[in-house]
Amino acid sequence: MQKSKKVLLLGHFGVGKTSLIRRFVSDSFSDAYKVTIGVHITKKVVELPSGTSLSMILWDLEGTDELHLIRNAYLMGTHGVIFVFDVTRPATFQNIQRDLDIIQEKVKKVPVLVVGNKMDLVDPADVKRLLEENDIQSDYMTSAKTGDAVNEAFLEMATQLDI
Amino acid sequence: MLEKYKNQFIGNSIQFVVLDDNGLVRESDNTCIPFKTGDSLKDFHPFFESLEAIAPDSKNEVTFNCVHLATNGKELITDLVLRREDDALLLVIYDLSQHYNEYQSVAQARNESIIQEQLIALKNIELEERERFKNQFIRNFSHEIRNPLTSIMSITQVLDQTDLDAEQKQMVQYLTQSNSQLRLLLEDILSISIISSGKLQVVEKEFNLIKLLDLLIFTYTTKAKEAGLKFIARVDDKLPQIVESDRLRVYQVLTNILDNAIKYTKKGQIEFTVQLNQKRANKANVRFEISDTGRGIPAEKLERIFTSFTQIYESDKEIGSGLGLSIVKGLLTLMGSEIHVTSEVDRGSRFFFDLNLKYPLPSSIGAVVKDEALDAVLRKNLKKDKYKLLLVEDDLMIQTVLFKFLSGTDRFYIELVSDGAKVMEEVVNTNYDLIVMDVNIPNIRGDQITRLIRDFPFKGIKDIPIIGVTGTVYEEDIAAYKAAGMNAVLPKPFAQEELLKSVFKYLR
Repeated sequence: MQKSKKVLLLGHFGVGKTSLIRRFVSDSFSDAYKVTIGVHITKKVVELPSGTSLSMILWDLEGTDELHLIRNAYLMGTHGVIFVFDVTRPATFQNIQRDLDIIQEKVKKVPVLVVGNKMDLVDPADVKRLLEENDIQSDYMTSAKTGDAVNEAFLEMATQLDI
Repeated sequence: MLEKYKNQFIGNSIQFVVLDDNGLVRESDNTCIPFKTGDSLKDFHPFFESLEAIAPDSKNEVTFNCVHLATNGKELITDLVLRREDDALLLVIYDLSQHYNEYQSVAQARNESIIQEQLIALKNIELEERERFKNQFIRNFSHEIRNPLTSIMSITQVLDQTDLDAEQKQMVQYLTQSNSQLRLLLEDILSISIISSGKLQVVEKEFNLIKLLDLLIFTYTTKAKEAGLKFIARVDDKLPQIVESDRLRVYQVLTNILDNAIKYTKKGQIEFTVQLNQKRANKANVRFEISDTGRGIPAEKLERIFTSFTQIYESDKEIGSGLGLSIVKGLLTLMGSEIHVTSEVDRGSRFFFDLNLKYPLPSSIGAVVKDEALDAVLRKNLKKDKYKLLLVEDDLMIQTVLFKFLSGTDRFYIELVSDGAKVMEEVVNTNYDLIVMDVNIPNIRGDQITRLIRDFPFKGIKDIPIIGVTGTVYEEDIAAYKAAGMNAVLPKPFAQEELLKSVFKYLR
């Protein structure tokens, strides 16, 4: 039987959560920024190396820098979280540890992946230095625009949910 | 009637659906979305795939705000309420698309504006960093270039004293002129970089305005005469004598404008007018005006003359860096003033600015105390009637001024030296009581000579008081000269009073 897992995408507004999902689900991208309000929910079924298939229910939540204000209803039944930040805007990752603590507090014992997006806009060496200076560890550095590392990030989450 | 209006109002916006625990439709009023009995909501929208996890297990209600649901190619933005009712699940769908679409527009504008602000702030940080790097680079580079430049100037002077034929003499003259231009350019670049870096602080202190103006008038009367020009000075006798402002910056502004006036005037006169506009409370608003009968500036170029490296004509590159007026503008902005210019081609230019200068109220004793303090200094009970003083300065005009300042007291035997290489010989052969030395002199710089003297093994030489004089505008340079062993460092221009106070302080 196909398993169904709810994955939340969280992070500040404008970091590219919707674009990452669009790239992953329909392999497309748009440069136009359209604010997400509330929640958009999409689904993608992925085949895992273990041979099982997993239905990822992707909850694309409205971006906010006040994660503690997210309505609890949105968080109910969450199996995994992808926290996205924008590598071109330090405001989206300067308080990342505080943001991750809030997530762990609100959604207990679920895998959390940290993804730095918009890598196509920066020099990777600059980002590396910046993240090191701010003591930030990111699991994936992606570009929704080019598709770099997008599938890898989502598949990693799917693999962790399959365990 | 009420029921009719109520139905019209809520009309197609609320739908009730009864579901079983597997998400299959039992009943639906199909107000917003058409469902058939037995339809699986899990197939309708992925939201309902999480139903088991999100449905309440008791009579509690759970509300999901602003959930986007697509149906028949149309997107609804809804609030969804799930409620447990006996053995069934009640789903209430509120279609709030209109309300949420309005909110979407507001959120879009707000977020775009915040993102833009963040990106602009980042850009500004980057620009500031670049500017800082540029200014630091210029400062380091300029400091590094000073020493080889001093060597070139010294060698040129030595060369000039050798046996040269007329053509060679001419070439050495060109070399000397080029060296001077390069040195001035270097100082200007340093000034502009420190102004634009924002590191320049206006230091407001009391000083004698009349004496500063006297010094300028003396200097520029001489310079104008050398250039075959007439110099007319008009100083308002209502000007307060002692004022509070940054004397060094006022001097820098005025010398830059006066130098330009002389540089670009071939015949006629330079007029320097200082006039009291207004005196109020303890502030005097003073107008400084410099006009010339030079070639003037074309109207279309007037706006650009305060931009760095701007020259009016291509040929001007030979006589200036194009930084002077940019420095003037920067300094006046720092002092809360603004430079104005009017000009007519072939008739001349007029530059003026108004400066607020604080001055002590008549009840204040500051000015009186100042003069009394100087008198007291001059009457200081010293061991000797006259002291041997070595004056090291290569600029003839400054040498004359300093000599006048010092000899006026009748307390010194003064020996003049203009070459750094000759200072040590003088110091060793004559028992000087004090040295007044320019830092930037040919062959060996004043701070280097100071180090040599301080390292000298004999008492009586190694502890001679040394007063440095310098054209530098940087605190860190002054600190470095003091660290080299100078007892005091006076940045030019300084009044006679300041020089004498420093000198008498260190006489034994």
